[in-house]
Amino acid sequence: MKRRHLLQTLAATPALLPAQQTTPSPDENVVLAVVSPDFAGLPVRRFLTPDQYATLQSLADLIAPSIDGRPGAKEAEAAPFLDFLLAKSPRDRQALYQRGLDTLNRTARTRHQKAFAELLPADANALLAPLKAKWTYSVPTDPVAAFLRAAKADIIRATTNSRAVAEANVAGRRRATGLNPYWQVIE
Amino acid sequence: MPTFNHDVVIIGSGASGGMAAYILAQAGVKCLMLEAGPMVDFTRHRSLKAVYDLPFRGFGEPGRFPHITQASEFDANLWIDEKKNPYSHPENDPYYWVRIRLLGGKTLRWGRASWRLSDYEFKGKDHDGWGENWPLSLADLAPFYDRVEPLFRVSGRNEGWAQLPDGKLLADESTESLSMERFLASAKKLGVPTTKPRRATGTLASSVNLLLPAAQATGNLTIVPNAIVREIGIDPKTGLVNAVHYIDRRSKREYTVPTKTLFLGASTLESTRLLLNSRSRQYPTGLANSSGVLGHYLFDQFYVKNSVTALVPEARGGKGPRNLMGGAGYVPRFTNLKPGKPEKNYLRGWAWDFGSGGTPSPELFPQWGDELARTMADAQGAGFSMTTMGESLPRFEHKLTIHPTLRDEWGIPAPHLEQRYTDNEHNMAKDAMETGVAMCEGAGFEVLAAHSQMVPPGESIHELGTCRMGADPKKSVLNSFNQAHDVKNLFVLDGSAFPSGGAQNPTLTILALTVRASEYLLEQKKQGKL
Repeated sequence: MKRRHLLQTLAATPALLPAQQTTPSPDENVVLAVVSPDFAGLPVRRFLTPDQYATLQSLADLIAPSIDGRPGAKEAEAAPFLDFLLAKSPRDRQALYQRGLDTLNRTARTRHQKAFAELLPADANALLAPLKAKWTYSVPTDPVAAFLRAAKADIIRATTNSRAVAEANVAGRRRATGLNPYWQVIE
Repeated sequence: MPTFNHDVVIIGSGASGGMAAYILAQAGVKCLMLEAGPMVDFTRHRSLKAVYDLPFRGFGEPGRFPHITQASEFDANLWIDEKKNPYSHPENDPYYWVRIRLLGGKTLRWGRASWRLSDYEFKGKDHDGWGENWPLSLADLAPFYDRVEPLFRVSGRNEGWAQLPDGKLLADESTESLSMERFLASAKKLGVPTTKPRRATGTLASSVNLLLPAAQATGNLTIVPNAIVREIGIDPKTGLVNAVHYIDRRSKREYTVPTKTLFLGASTLESTRLLLNSRSRQYPTGLANSSGVLGHYLFDQFYVKNSVTALVPEARGGKGPRNLMGGAGYVPRFTNLKPGKPEKNYLRGWAWDFGSGGTPSPELFPQWGDELARTMADAQGAGFSMTTMGESLPRFEHKLTIHPTLRDEWGIPAPHLEQRYTDNEHNMAKDAMETGVAMCEGAGFEVLAAHSQMVPPGESIHELGTCRMGADPKKSVLNSFNQAHDVKNLFVLDGSAFPSGGAQNPTLTILALTVRASEYLLEQKKQGKL
């Protein structure tokens, strides 16, 4: 949330006084500093139900927690991002997540009389046991195992590719990650 | 008004089209090149971006590329738009057709592996009785390989092996890392040959920098981007190609250009699609298809990506010596090399790319949370992986046909693609995996994961066949110079001409065949035959 605080501070700063204004330039090659939409606003939930969304947030925290000050899924806003991605995804991907999150939540209520998001970490982790199976090329036939496998990969990727992790890498003098040549539309 | 002073129309600007222009234009032949896609401007179209600044955080737009697994969100705009350029396949037999429509074609993104084919491929039928021989041998093509390798600055190491012929290479004299030394020793113990990778070098190794500039400098090459060829016209009196009909990609306006000779290098499946779409009274089932085999014998090389993933124990935690990790190598086909009955439960053979270094995917570890983070930190840079590439056998029933109703954005009938892997390929993949595991274990590596599941046909981007060359005009479309048996002024230069393909990456052979075909045309012209 640091960046939003910064923006709020900037917004509250009084406008420059007329005496400090610079002379307008006739040069058309102006380059202004801008930020991307996800830097400025809070993401709006698009696809998952409130229960599914809360379950995904808890799951993301378990899969990719913050460690030694390094951002985890929460700081990377992985769950809001995945909710957005799912809203645009093919139907089978959406169903995989919906069924998986619902099943996790239902199992939590059956075993502990609580929603998955309200479980103690040890109880929540116990429900992720299918992730302990040895990796196989084929997707697991059990729908929960298949969901957890997909969600684990997505949560880690959404975290690793986040602005929060990139900024932490720079601040921690670690190697900058995620920079690549981008190709524009070629017409 | 156009002047129409060209002798040859070249369709396509990738490996085959680019090389044809390079040879012909420098020999004084006036060429007109039609490329379906636009031109790339490396300065204007490419810039450095952070993954978090991309709209989909590096995941890519969901559903944009149902078949192009190679596309990333960074390079998505380089690959073909699958919605505008549809095709079909049987519901339960997916085919991944991976395309680039830009000036330079797939040479803008190819993997650059550059192996020669051997007489195990050219004369495969003589060796094991399967399929058809090529109508040429290594001795016929070797002088042309000799010229292509220096042009593409191919580096590697000559080994003197019959199944992987030596080339004119930039000598790769790099030393091996300690982990690689162990792996090579394990391979040797198991009787598995290994060598250095053989790749085109340089920042860019594409027709747009290595071939087209030299061709254009002669003043003999005119390049027309955004020209989607719809149909090839023939003279009903002579049966020869006399025109090419194309559509402006942007305006959809139609044009016709006459030609004396046609060099077709639009890519394996596009070239055959075009021939099948060019029907006439003389060729009712497609141009140059008196044999009836046009569109048939579609094949590729099957890939098992990361067939074996292992860890080098001494590299865990970053504790190993500096020269422990790094390097890459290649295992050529080494099975079924003796003539007669195959020694394995399959025909032909497979190859490997392998590499030391990198970090295995977190998916491979049965952990999450803190535990996974510790494991990943421990495994950082300690990975070793192998990818299998195997020969798939050309079969008549594997084919490209024209879909009865499906059309692309420009109204051109789209292809229907049918290919599936059979027991021969599956047995090969399983043998490769088991051998790979044994090699890694012999080197003292910890095998994390092994599998033999190949990616769908087409995904290797080594699609071949459908317009095969052969000695018998009743069984093939082209002769040994890539010239249509039926239509003497039509040459088909890309991978569609292959009667078989081995396990070697095909681009080097496409380039060498194109040099040979181009010089054959020059000779024919000199003799007044064309």
